[in-house]
Order: sequence, then structure tokens, then C-alpha cells
Amino acid sequence: MIFLYFDPAIGAMIVQAIVAAIAGVLLFSKNLLLKVKVFLGIVKPKDEELFDDIDIERSEIEKKDSSDS
Amino acid sequence: MTHKKAHPASFRDPSGFMFVEEGIVKRQINPIYFKQYFALKDSRFFEKLFNSQVLIPHEELSHSSEQIIIQPEHIPFITYPYEWCFNQYKEAALLTLKLQKFSLEHGFSLKDASAFNVTFHKGKAIFIDTLSFDFYIENSPWRAYKQFVSHFLGPLLMAHYHGAQSLKLMSNYIDGIPLNMIASMLPFKSKLNPFLYSNIHLLAKFEDKYHEDYNGESKVKSLSKKAQLNIIQSLYDFIKKLSLKEHSEWGNYYNKINYTDAAFNLKSDIINNWISKLNVKTVIDVGGNDGTFVRRITSNIEQALVCDIDNNAVDYNFKTIKENKERFMLPFVLDVLNPSAAIGFNNKERDSFIKRIKKFQPDITLALAVIHHMSLSGNVTFEMSAQFFAKFSKHLIIEFPKREDSWVQRLLNNKADFKDYFGFYNIENFEKAYTNYFEIIEKQPIENSERVMYLLKTKHD
Repeated sequence: MIFLYFDPAIGAMIVQAIVAAIAGVLLFSKNLLLKVKVFLGIVKPKDEELFDDIDIERSEIEKKDSSDS
Repeated sequence: MTHKKAHPASFRDPSGFMFVEEGIVKRQINPIYFKQYFALKDSRFFEKLFNSQVLIPHEELSHSSEQIIIQPEHIPFITYPYEWCFNQYKEAALLTLKLQKFSLEHGFSLKDASAFNVTFHKGKAIFIDTLSFDFYIENSPWRAYKQFVSHFLGPLLMAHYHGAQSLKLMSNYIDGIPLNMIASMLPFKSKLNPFLYSNIHLLAKFEDKYHEDYNGESKVKSLSKKAQLNIIQSLYDFIKKLSLKEHSEWGNYYNKINYTDAAFNLKSDIINNWISKLNVKTVIDVGGNDGTFVRRITSNIEQALVCDIDNNAVDYNFKTIKENKERFMLPFVLDVLNPSAAIGFNNKERDSFIKRIKKFQPDITLALAVIHHMSLSGNVTFEMSAQFFAKFSKHLIIEFPKREDSWVQRLLNNKADFKDYFGFYNIENFEKAYTNYFEIIEKQPIENSERVMYLLKTKHD
């Protein structure tokens, strides 16, 4: 059971199907572009980034382990 | 069972509430949330998030069939979204998305995505609403998507297009910036960007279309987990790349001001010397720029708050903290002439800056190169500023630039015809007003400058 203690946001629930479809296309084309760039060898070296990637376990737990050891 | 009085900010979620017992913040969990709580606990979901320092750790104090009491780790000073610099805001947004992705992968979902669920602790953003995790229902869209946009994406976009001061809007919109307002304030070209079109303009349109569906007749479409993860990932990628258009004029601030290196070092030595004598553990630097002077303190400080009106300075400080992995410093944006007010229901959901800082009671306040701005730009009298500084800490280190100082001269010249009204600005009047509230412990002029340092102690205890 979900308790809606805030705005039910029906429109926002419905629109997510479209948002997700567009996001899917964007992510797909981005990955494709990256693959092409890697193939052509024109990928720029990454600058030291302020923020890490989205995955908690990979980016954070491992980092913790390595700093502990 | 003793009756616990819920914290005035903790009433929105029926799953439980926060309360304060003998000065310690605790959280009661109601039976309605037991199933979720045990699932999160037994699957080591909480533990994994504690280990990766993204969720505030808690320990379970007691549990019965009526309630479970947990005690989260103490956070000395809470900052709110309208006090964050741009990159802090970004980090809080990215943290929320990380948590949603992690939740989805473990069969849970965030039921809300309020920016107030995040604060800064030990040098980084941390999620503080332990009861925000609910079970993921297969193929259901993200319930908190709209809230994420109005609390995070919207304000960040406003800051991107209109400057970091837009982040202050959150102090007026505790429930997030209205979608139609965000949509209307973005430039036309944002409609040509598929990401912005779908996440802002189309969302605003849909919300507008369906918001009068009182009977709940509209059918919510299902959304696969993969599709929801695509939304989360694309939000993450977009926000991670988002930057401010205004270029930071911060980097070379200390080159612009009228200090010689020797005077700069002398000022720093004076502060160090006084602080080490007082055995100071906590400090607030009001107008602390990028934290330079706090960073030069050699004695062991447990918690340093460094606030400044300039978002760029705070941002620069935050980046330095991240690069150096500093845990003791908490930067935030604050206009000392208009500190954050208390907001929300009964004006009690979010405390004012004054209330929070009085409670935190730093051992010492640093007010370096700030009094002339308060007095001459803000027209705050010495009497008023003395009263202000005497409110929250026992000791005050204050730097007084004399009338002859070039910055003071510049501020006075800005007053044009009204320059004469500021005849009061001199060291005698300063001392006279401040000794009503403080006694002067030490006083030392900075050589080769027109500035004097004071170590003051409040008269009342």
C-alpha cells in the first residue's frame, strides 16, 4: 500500500511513459556515439570529475574497501 | 508508553515521526511501516547505504508491537536547500537519483524526493529521511518523479539559466517550485531540447491537464523498471553536466583585496594564536569566503561552519572540501543582513538560521572583513551588529577596517551625497558599542594595513 501524503501527480505518472521513451532514445544514441568515437579513437580523456557515477555499490562501496585496505 | 511530541517538521509521513528526547533526535516508526522497515533491515539495504555513507546511520533502540524507536547519528548543524551553493544542490540531486536507482535494483523505491530529505554532513550530501523507502510495485511509474523535478531539476535549471540566486526561491516554495513557473521561466530554445521538453514542458502540460481529475478516473499507465531506470539515468547524466553560466570571479579574490602577503599571514597567525589559547572545537566564520582562514587554523577543529553571501565563494569552498576530502567544514550560502527565516506550517517546519546557530552555539565566531559591509552597505549600526554577534557564541574574533582603509573609503564613496551620514564609522564608536556586549580580551593591529583585530568575550553567560 502506498500512502499518498503528497500531491498524487496523476499527470506526472502518465507522462513518464513518454519521458522514458525519449530518455531511452537519448541514452541509446549517446552510447552509440560513444562507441563510434571509441572505434575512431577520438574519445577525449576524461577530466578529473567532481561527481562520480550513479551506481552506489560500484562507485562507493568499492572505493571504501580500497581505502580501508 | 510515554507520549512523545513529534517535531513540528515531522507530520507529513504517517510512517513515523521524529522527536527530541533529552536533546537527542530520535525517530518513531509506526506499525504501518513495520513491513518495509524489516524488509529494508533484513535485506541489509540500510547497512549497505550506511557503509557507502549515503544514508544517515541509525541504531535501533527499542521495538514493540506498537512502535520501533531508532536513533540516527547526530548532525550538528542542518542546512537547507536554499542555503546550498550550486554544486551542493547538484550533489543532493545526484544523491537522490543514486538512491532511487539503488532502491529499484533492490526491490524498493523512494516514495518522495524532497530536497529537504538531504543535508550536508562530514563534507558531503547525506540522505536523512530513513522512512522514505517503500516497496517497488512492479511496472509502476516513479511516484516521486514530479517532486524530484520541482525540488531538484527545476531549481537547478533556473540557476543554470538565471543565476545561482534562483536557488533561494526554495525558501518560498517548501513543496518545490511550481512546474508551470519553471516551464515559463525557461527560454524558448529549451523546448527544442528533447530532454528538457519531456521532463519540463510536457510534464507541466500533463500536470495541468490532469490536475482537475478529482475522481481519479485517469488511468495511470504502467512503466517497466527498465524504462524508469532510463528516466533516472538520463536525469543523472543531464544534472551531472549542468553548470552555471555566470563564470566564477572567485579564484583570485584574495589577490584583489588590499593585503600584502605579510599582512595576510599576520592576520592568519593572530587568529591561530587566539584560537589555540581558547581550546576551540566549533567555529562559525561569518563572511568566510572560500574558507581560507578556517583552513589555516592549525588547532583541531571538530566542526567549522563557513558561510558567505557569495554563491561562487561557497561553491569554490565546496569543491575544495571535496577535493581534499575534508570532513569538518560545512559551507553554506547566507546573507548576514537577511538570514534564512523560519518557514513551513506554523513557521516551524524549517528553523531560522538564528534558531539553529543559537542551538549549535559555536565556541567562537569569526567576523573577518565583514563589519564594514554590515555597517556601510547594510546600514546596520555597531550596536545592532554587536547584539547580533553576542547572540550565539561566547567568543568573537572581529576584524575592524578603519575609516582610512581603501575598502571602507570605496564603500563610503558609494554613498555619494549621503557620505556624511556615516560619520559614525570609526574605531572609537565601534569599541564603545561593542563593549556594551563584550569585553575586549585582546586587540592587535595588523601591520601595514588599516585594520585591527579584536578578540572579544561576551559579558553575559
